[in-house]
Amino acid sequence: MIVVASFVLTGVLVTISELLGTKITPYNPIQQNVGASLEAPSWAHLFGCDFLGRDVFSRVIASVPNDVVVSFCVVGVAIIVGALIGATAGFKGGLLDELLMRFTDVIFSLPVLVIAMVIAVALGPGLTHLMVAMIVIWWPPYARMARGESLRVAHQNFIEAARFAGQKTIGILFKHVLPNISITMLVYATLDIGTVILVYAGLSYLGLSVRPPAPDLGEMISSSQDYLITDPWLPIIPGLIIAIIVIGFSVLGDGLRDALEAR
Amino acid sequence: MNLARYILRRVLFGAFVLLSVMTITFVLSHGLGGDPIYSWLGRAAGLHPELAAAYAAKYHLRDPVYVQYYYYLVNLSQGNLGYSPSRNFLPVAVVIGQTLPFTLQIAFFSILMTLVIGILLGVISARHNHTPIDTAIRGVYMAGYASPPFFVGLVLLIVITYNFGLLPSGGAFDPSLTQPTWITGIPMIDSLLEGNFQYFISALVHVILPSMTLAICFFGIVTRVLRSSMLEIMHANYIRTARAKGLDEGTIFFKHGLRHALMPIVSLSSLIVTWIITGTIFVENIFSYPGMGRYVVQALNGQDYPGILGTTIVYALVIVASTLAADILYAVVDPQVRLG
Repeated sequence: MIVVASFVLTGVLVTISELLGTKITPYNPIQQNVGASLEAPSWAHLFGCDFLGRDVFSRVIASVPNDVVVSFCVVGVAIIVGALIGATAGFKGGLLDELLMRFTDVIFSLPVLVIAMVIAVALGPGLTHLMVAMIVIWWPPYARMARGESLRVAHQNFIEAARFAGQKTIGILFKHVLPNISITMLVYATLDIGTVILVYAGLSYLGLSVRPPAPDLGEMISSSQDYLITDPWLPIIPGLIIAIIVIGFSVLGDGLRDALEAR
Repeated sequence: MNLARYILRRVLFGAFVLLSVMTITFVLSHGLGGDPIYSWLGRAAGLHPELAAAYAAKYHLRDPVYVQYYYYLVNLSQGNLGYSPSRNFLPVAVVIGQTLPFTLQIAFFSILMTLVIGILLGVISARHNHTPIDTAIRGVYMAGYASPPFFVGLVLLIVITYNFGLLPSGGAFDPSLTQPTWITGIPMIDSLLEGNFQYFISALVHVILPSMTLAICFFGIVTRVLRSSMLEIMHANYIRTARAKGLDEGTIFFKHGLRHALMPIVSLSSLIVTWIITGTIFVENIFSYPGMGRYVVQALNGQDYPGILGTTIVYALVIVASTLAADILYAVVDPQVRLG
């Protein structure tokens, strides 16, 4: 139930941020204005202007939805894939369990950033491609967690009762096992969103995310780091925004853990 | 006996992981990327089609992926990783040999700083649990953890290099000094062995800023884990026994408590090594440090498949080896671990 609710909430949040991102920026985030090039922060341009005279405040607002979309999609798909694989492995057991978990172990051992870089380069830069690249390697911790939790659940009395009542394995899996393991995974996912945002920022910094002139926080840092000495706010502001988003999600995750796991 | 079997199983699994990394990277970079000949040769490929055809034939670019993979494996078994177009077709093994030592230098000092800062702050915040000091340390490590390494690196550059002029802004050594001769391959060790202290000091000064960047980003997890395991252990029965014996609080804290609280750090170490190795990619590019991280970004931008493959394999090798070492160390140190 909570997982469903969180997905609905996520959908609403993403839609709102998408809509707002295009409507509420004070300037057009990709409009160049050579006269205002490298202007210092002022009331007209809160975060100043970059080397092409684009308003940094507008670019920041327009690029935050990227991080929200990427982090929620990657973590959301990782939860679904991981929960299905892990719960099936833990609940079915035997050879299937062994095969699925060895596969998970291999993917788990891959160096995340390097493989994501290779996939993103193979597919070509772009937000969707980057998301695919991250999803491919992001699910194994969730599968491990789901397997452990479902092993814990599998031998409890209510599962035996459902089995005696003649329910099929699939039905038991969806109706009784998955709801029972969702809380732990949800808490982990909230803490994980910060990590996704950091890795995404890194890949974006390496130029593997949106294509210019579309704005993105990581790309804003890499494209303005040449102005580090003369206009230090240009790379510093996007970096601070990333840090604030990540701190926000880890505080939220800590709070959720205290609230939900204190059972 | 049991331990030997455990180690053998872990080594075999590590080899299997390496092989899968290699296969996945190979298939991805060759199966989807299109024709690399234009980015390899530039305009010359269009002007001289016969040259492009000769290059394509020489590096088997027109063959199916599995045939190319067969050639790659045959070459690899002879120690040949291919030739790197983004570095004037130098052998990849040579380029890695030139760049890997610098990456290892950064990684070593980063891990050292991460552990020193992490353990120090962890001990302090466990001792002053629930005081403003504890809260302040928590704030510092959360800010560090939440900031991407390239951002921390830029801030350090502004503050330390440009404001105070304390440390150099980039590079790995002062190029005007005499270079150490090749003994172990790692410049800092070589210069020490030779007694070339001027070079050693210069290399040390250049490595501080990049390593500090990574340490600031990653010490938080050490502090956090150490703090909670310390607090848990200080409530254990044997600590109460030690108190009842009349030992002084410092001895109890460091000799009885800290030694056991460090145990979870051993199991964390492989995670920290993985983070720091991938983190070097960013700091090397910010501080123009001539390591493998700069090479891999260059290779990615130039569709330099042999370079991408070679560096990916080396990164995976370092990560798999460190995970293996941590697992084995943990099994040796902690008799409670199940050798399953």
